[in-house]
Amino acid sequence: MFSYNLKLAVKSIKDRPSLTVLMVAAIAVGLGLFMTVITMAHQSENIPLSYKSENLYLIQLDNREVDAEDVPIQARMIDMTYQDSSNLMALNTAAKEQTYTFTTNGILNVEDENIQPLRSRLTVTTQGFFSMFDTPFLYGQAWSKQEDKNGDAVIVLSKETNEYLFGGINSVGKQMRIDTRVLTVIGVMDNWYLTRKFYNRSYRQGNPDQAYIPSSFAFKSNLPRMAGFDCWSTTKNSREFGNVRLDELLNSECAWLTFWAEIEGKSKLEEYKSSVNQYIENQKSFGRFPRAKEKMNDYFTNINEQLTFVNSRNSTMGFLKTVAYMFFAVCLLNAVSILLAKFMRRTKEVSLRRALGAKKSAIMFQHLLEVVIIGLMGGAVGVVLSYFGLQGMMSIRLYASDYMLKAKDLIPYYHLDWQMISLAFLVAIFSTILVALYPIWRICNVSPASQLKAQ
Amino acid sequence: MEFRPIFLSLKNNKAIALLMIIQVALTLGVLSTAILMTTSTLQQWNLPSGIPHDNIISVMPEFYDDSIDIKQSVINDIARIKQLTGVIEMSPVSERPFDARQVYNVYLDAKEEAQAFQTNIFDTNESGPAVLDLKLIAGRFFNQNEVLFGAAKELKQDVAVVLISEEMSHALFKNEVAVGKTLWLEKGAKPVKIIGVYSNFMNGEDLNGIGQSYRSVLRPQVTWQANVDPSYLIRVEAGQAAQMLETIGGEIYKTSGRYINRLEVLTRTQKRMYDGRGSRALTFLVISGVLVLITAFGMSGLVSFLVNQRKKQIGTRRALGATKWHVVRYFLLENSIVTCIGLLLGMLISITMVLVLTEENGSQFLDVGYILATALFLLMVNLTAVYLPAKRAANVAPAIVTRSA
Repeated sequence: MFSYNLKLAVKSIKDRPSLTVLMVAAIAVGLGLFMTVITMAHQSENIPLSYKSENLYLIQLDNREVDAEDVPIQARMIDMTYQDSSNLMALNTAAKEQTYTFTTNGILNVEDENIQPLRSRLTVTTQGFFSMFDTPFLYGQAWSKQEDKNGDAVIVLSKETNEYLFGGINSVGKQMRIDTRVLTVIGVMDNWYLTRKFYNRSYRQGNPDQAYIPSSFAFKSNLPRMAGFDCWSTTKNSREFGNVRLDELLNSECAWLTFWAEIEGKSKLEEYKSSVNQYIENQKSFGRFPRAKEKMNDYFTNINEQLTFVNSRNSTMGFLKTVAYMFFAVCLLNAVSILLAKFMRRTKEVSLRRALGAKKSAIMFQHLLEVVIIGLMGGAVGVVLSYFGLQGMMSIRLYASDYMLKAKDLIPYYHLDWQMISLAFLVAIFSTILVALYPIWRICNVSPASQLKAQ
Repeated sequence: MEFRPIFLSLKNNKAIALLMIIQVALTLGVLSTAILMTTSTLQQWNLPSGIPHDNIISVMPEFYDDSIDIKQSVINDIARIKQLTGVIEMSPVSERPFDARQVYNVYLDAKEEAQAFQTNIFDTNESGPAVLDLKLIAGRFFNQNEVLFGAAKELKQDVAVVLISEEMSHALFKNEVAVGKTLWLEKGAKPVKIIGVYSNFMNGEDLNGIGQSYRSVLRPQVTWQANVDPSYLIRVEAGQAAQMLETIGGEIYKTSGRYINRLEVLTRTQKRMYDGRGSRALTFLVISGVLVLITAFGMSGLVSFLVNQRKKQIGTRRALGATKWHVVRYFLLENSIVTCIGLLLGMLISITMVLVLTEENGSQFLDVGYILATALFLLMVNLTAVYLPAKRAANVAPAIVTRSA
């Protein structure tokens, strides 16, 4: 019976191929755009380091003046001062690891005159960064606490930088320069893909750092500090802190360092919070943290919580999603009309079959089978279309960035994986069945032999 | 006209009528939102630049060796590059057209509550206007002795004079004469005198976005501080810019301890300024186009189904004396009624969607005119899509009715 129905379904699909093509096209085009947008949203909302992101906390303490404005949104809150960062690092807390980061820039160059210098963005941090964020290493390793303490001139290069400056060899122990300062390569990272660069709170995509250096060295050699300095109103000319007056900055109430703690589990978090609160109480005796306890905007947020907010702010994505959903709906409505036209041509045949004793369920099964086959075809074409859609979207993004972004860094955001492909087929079959409900109901209710009188 | 039979037949075919109405409504909703987004994206897009940007090269060098004498390097760079054949004029600048970053507030008054005017300030020397090929509209350009030249922290005095663009002059003084007036470039700073007005040129994305593309001030100073070194604009003979990039890069690299951040013809800077918006608009347009096609096909599928269903009725009408045109008109009219109901519903959907999106991203882009135009366009598309099957319907032979029903 099944094979007979299948034969009938295939025959019907082959019959009037233009309507079949139209139907498959309507589903495939709608699905193509739908999957393109859903995949982009899915990939860009992937959480970096998802296996431990719940335990990685951004810590923001409210050391501001008494009359500072209330900040109800974590993303608008200031970072941390150097005083607090170094004090917390020295404190014995429930955190497994703590670190802080800021960004600097410089021109990386090597002795070899044939290799043109490379303008680069570097993350300045401490040894804890590498274990906390599980950075993969190709050669060598991260620097140790000792180098942090001494302010040694060591540097960890990204894989790409190592390829540019040293041709991809194991460069550990080799010397290179940031501007005119000489450093020794201590480690080379492997490809490290993060959906969003969360650790400096920029949450940017496709924007990897070129290298990483110890903060103690950056302070010692006064590398530029690319940061916003949120200072008390008593601090004058805080914009200058980017280049000069380092000692004043380190002892000031200016917040500018992004502070991270790895805390495993809720109970540890409570423990950590209470020791931070204890610390704040202690600092109050030095005239710091002047705000009343209930007016403090302290935030302890993990990566998941931060990204939920960041992703909800992506209005272009939101718009594209709305358009894609509605577009798909229009395509499905069209599919209903086409299917109706296709099925109703067959009233005569169906009424004959019914007259000869075919049950309603048999008619229904036959048409359902046909619809599922069409759905599978639509799904297959839709997946192909969404692959090209994603490629197109990526080219547009590259073009729009004037090729400042690299395709290599963007591919993960436009990658159609198996999960998405299976989703596409599921959606295709489910939506074609939905589309077919009314046409099938109509065809099943054709009364036996009613169409046989004429001709 | 046959309104009554149409309504009766629609009543019999409620499901199909409903289907068509929803389809038209949703299509209009998506299409007009996409078109409104596109037009709002493309506002102020690709305006005239006011300068021969194809012949101007922009170089952004940066020193990383602190021991280098920047002043001498700038003098040497200019001397060396000006000697190259094909180079017409060159000047150091702080900002580049199409790419001006920092938006300044300038004032006509020293008072605390003075009105702020947004603008971009371009620092340059006496060759600046010639490099950009600006035309003098009133007053005069700078003299060499009015240009301040030195590191920011070593400059003892402030500039005394500035030039402003035609549009800036209009924004500040309406139709009054600007030359000779004073301007405050900063609250609490010393005022400067306006000595000339020059023809407009494009400043950058920020002011372009709010419809102030041509507001600019030229300030006669060449200065630098840590990590912000002067960059250059170089005008070359027409058609030579692309091939001169490498030569000019080579000249800059002759001083070691420096790095070229960016070296390009201003054409590319201009492209970068408009790219993001252009490509976003293109995406929306492609989506809209596909959507219109899909709806047209769906409509004609649906009508051919209706025609098939009503072969007999059509035959009867033809047999009773209706002309072919009558039959076509019937379908066109029926479709127009359904489409119009759908369009009304669609307008509601689009206005709600636009309002929701406006709330989300803050920019105002509701324009009922565009929605109406889109609706009219959809009506035309639908009528065309219906016309073909309707014409086929008109060819039903009147004799069909004579066969037993």
